[in-house]
Amino acid sequence: MTTIPAPGAGRISAGRISAPLHVAGPGAPWHLVREAMDRHGNAVVHTTWGEWLGAAVTRPALRQLLGGDWQRYRRTQDPTLRYRFLASRLVTKYTAAAALGTGPAELDLAYRIGGRPYLRSLDQIDVSLTHTEDMIAVGISRNGRIGVDVEPATRPMSYDLLQGHVLTPAERGALEHLPEGERAARLLRLWTLKEAYTKALGQGLRLDFTEFGFAEGGGELLAPDGRPAADGEWSFDTHRVLGGRYMLSVACHDTGLSGSADTTVRTMLDTGFAGAVTELL
Amino acid sequence: MTTLAEIPGHPAPSSPAPDRADADALARARRLEARLGDPYDPGNPHGFAALFDADARSTPPEATEALLTEAGLGAEFVPVALGGLLTRADLLARALRPVFRRDLGLGMGHGLISLFAAGAVWAAGDEPQRSATARLLLDGGRIAILHHELAHANAILRHEFTARPAPGGRLISGRKDVILNASRADLHVVYARTDEAPGPRSHSVLLLDPAGQDPAHLRHLPRVESSGMRGALFSGLEFAELPVPGDALVGHPGDGAGIALRAFQVNRSLICGLVTAAAGTVLHSAARAATEGRASGVARRWHKPLTGVFADLLACDAMSTTVLRALSLLPASAHLFAAAVKYVVPELLRENLEELATVLGARGYDHASPAYGALGKLSRDLPVAGLGHAGSASCQSVLVPQLRGLAERSWFAEPEPPAELFTPGAALPHLDYRLLGIAGGGDFMAASLVATAERLAPLREAGGHTGALAGLAEAFATELRGLRAQCRRIPAGPGALADPAVVRLSDRYSRIVGAAAVLAVWAGQDGADPFLADPAWAVLALTRAGQRLGIPVPALPDGVQDQVLAELIRRHGQGLGYDLDALPYEGRP
Repeated sequence: MTTIPAPGAGRISAGRISAPLHVAGPGAPWHLVREAMDRHGNAVVHTTWGEWLGAAVTRPALRQLLGGDWQRYRRTQDPTLRYRFLASRLVTKYTAAAALGTGPAELDLAYRIGGRPYLRSLDQIDVSLTHTEDMIAVGISRNGRIGVDVEPATRPMSYDLLQGHVLTPAERGALEHLPEGERAARLLRLWTLKEAYTKALGQGLRLDFTEFGFAEGGGELLAPDGRPAADGEWSFDTHRVLGGRYMLSVACHDTGLSGSADTTVRTMLDTGFAGAVTELL
Repeated sequence: MTTLAEIPGHPAPSSPAPDRADADALARARRLEARLGDPYDPGNPHGFAALFDADARSTPPEATEALLTEAGLGAEFVPVALGGLLTRADLLARALRPVFRRDLGLGMGHGLISLFAAGAVWAAGDEPQRSATARLLLDGGRIAILHHELAHANAILRHEFTARPAPGGRLISGRKDVILNASRADLHVVYARTDEAPGPRSHSVLLLDPAGQDPAHLRHLPRVESSGMRGALFSGLEFAELPVPGDALVGHPGDGAGIALRAFQVNRSLICGLVTAAAGTVLHSAARAATEGRASGVARRWHKPLTGVFADLLACDAMSTTVLRALSLLPASAHLFAAAVKYVVPELLRENLEELATVLGARGYDHASPAYGALGKLSRDLPVAGLGHAGSASCQSVLVPQLRGLAERSWFAEPEPPAELFTPGAALPHLDYRLLGIAGGGDFMAASLVATAERLAPLREAGGHTGALAGLAEAFATELRGLRAQCRRIPAGPGALADPAVVRLSDRYSRIVGAAAVLAVWAGQDGADPFLADPAWAVLALTRAGQRLGIPVPALPDGVQDQVLAELIRRHGQGLGYDLDALPYEGRP
């Protein structure tokens, strides 16, 4: 028995998450995003909103670029929130546009119930967006759901206060005897992984963090009692980015369909079907 | 409470007489439900314990497959005129629901895929082909479909076969790795490339009997393990100049895309109705998780996901049932709504499963548990059955070329469809694949939306749930008006179709006509089911649909969520399904 083969390869490269890329602005080397998509079917980028701000606010036709988000942008009074909102939507659109072979203004960023963003009409890629302080990170995937979360590496995490709300019994068992510094770092890592997973599900904090956990290496999803909760369809990764100042976690689901490596919009309509329909109109 | 039937001007169905075919299909479903037995009984060889176990072992559930064969399931796929039981697609979905709400992979692998393949013969086969295919299915045989490669193909749609002319027929060559039931089918329906030039005439459909073929020309490739529908038997086939006789051709050379478009609209509609039934089982699990051991009722935090998903399932069933009925009643124009529904439903259900995951929490990882294992299994099976992006894109290939013409000629101009389309139990013509259109024919769902919104308009000021529904109807009609303006600006010519700004209109379109089905099904209620006749479920479903569409929708009126929750708890307590029919599961409560 074999597994569903990827195009030209023995099996799908499930379990691989592309290393995060820094994108310094709208001109960032987008071919790196395309290469990551080619290689692993996903790409993760990060930046700070300040890097995008100049290009963002001076960009002509900003209203068209923001589309449905324009009203929210206009309504947001606080300048920091407003510019971070603007930059985060731009980073999302530019990143998606790189994978879709189109321009960012061509994309309609919409939201599902619960707030998860998606690209209207273009379900060849899933997107996830996160920001904290200066930092923005975006993940895209063509294999299934993706969730990203970023937190300041120095974010204080009180084990005593949080463990009951965040950790499964198995995780508590693994952490409680660790020295305090290491324990806080591990707790933060688990927090970002849990955020990334629940964001991949589009649920955020609505899914209790104590209802699922991670194996010690952080790569495997577990039920609270420590049994495996998935069958290899999920993969997880954590990176320190921006000189180690932030911790970035990614959760990627693979539906196992071995979808097309081509995600460009211009090739997505089947010429045979569209042609047969057009012929009769 | 006002039902739309009481409002002056609402068209009454011209033949309200109940159709005997309806009662027959329901009786067959009840018998099958009884034979499959209580799904939650751990000792039942056809229950969830056995089905989840087979799935975990990546094997088809043999005992249940044998039961289905013995029950004569194959006859459901054969038109009555050819000796089978297939009268209408909506009734077929009903008859199959007991299987699909237990195991989507089983339903596809044991059975429905054979109809997906046979559809080509029902659409374009000659009499000998039709009767031979009917015989095969009536005898319990299986048919595999060997798809041609579609744009943005995934593993199931990737690669294709070619056929070139040879004395006495054709020679087929090529290799495809992922074909459901390739190893055990008694007939292959091959969508083979017969013309190198791209375009709508490049493929033809050929029938191939794999029995007794020379292994030098036909090679079976190893089984392929899939991460969804794990028990389904996917494997590959390789043909090397395999000869097929001239009479293997279905229809004419070059008819492949046209035949596929006819057959696929039935397939798309069926799969939407049946995955909705499967999702009902997960809602049942979640309702159990939320009520188990709680004397004080369902915790407040679970009201929203439970009622929201329930309303979405009813909406999915409203869309599916409507399109399945349209295949009989409006065969020339059902293609458009079939593509829209298939575009909307699988993704909506995937979202629903994720919402239910919050309610189920850790129980959702209890993969072997009859009570809670359905979430994990359906989360894996659904993308495979729905074909993911390639499935959506093939629907968009049908929708996008038609949008401009619809905006120019159809929307706000056509009369609404006959009321029988939405009237439960109203008699309909039999499904005839040969009558199905593949383009043009107008847009009966847009017409229905406009007409319903107009009829409801006087009730907008009435307030309450009916007033809220009237407001939502108007909001969707307004959205259609906005879409019309945008679609009229689509430049002429095929070049525009690949423009992302044009493609992205197909999502809005599909969600608007999906909402139209919710309104029309609510309006078509005769009051026999007081819950469905009340506007609450439709208000909730359309509020969510509006939020997804990004149109301004008012906050839910008081009482809507409570009413939907009360019905959910009633259905859970009585072991009923969560679709429009609300049929009981065997052995419940």
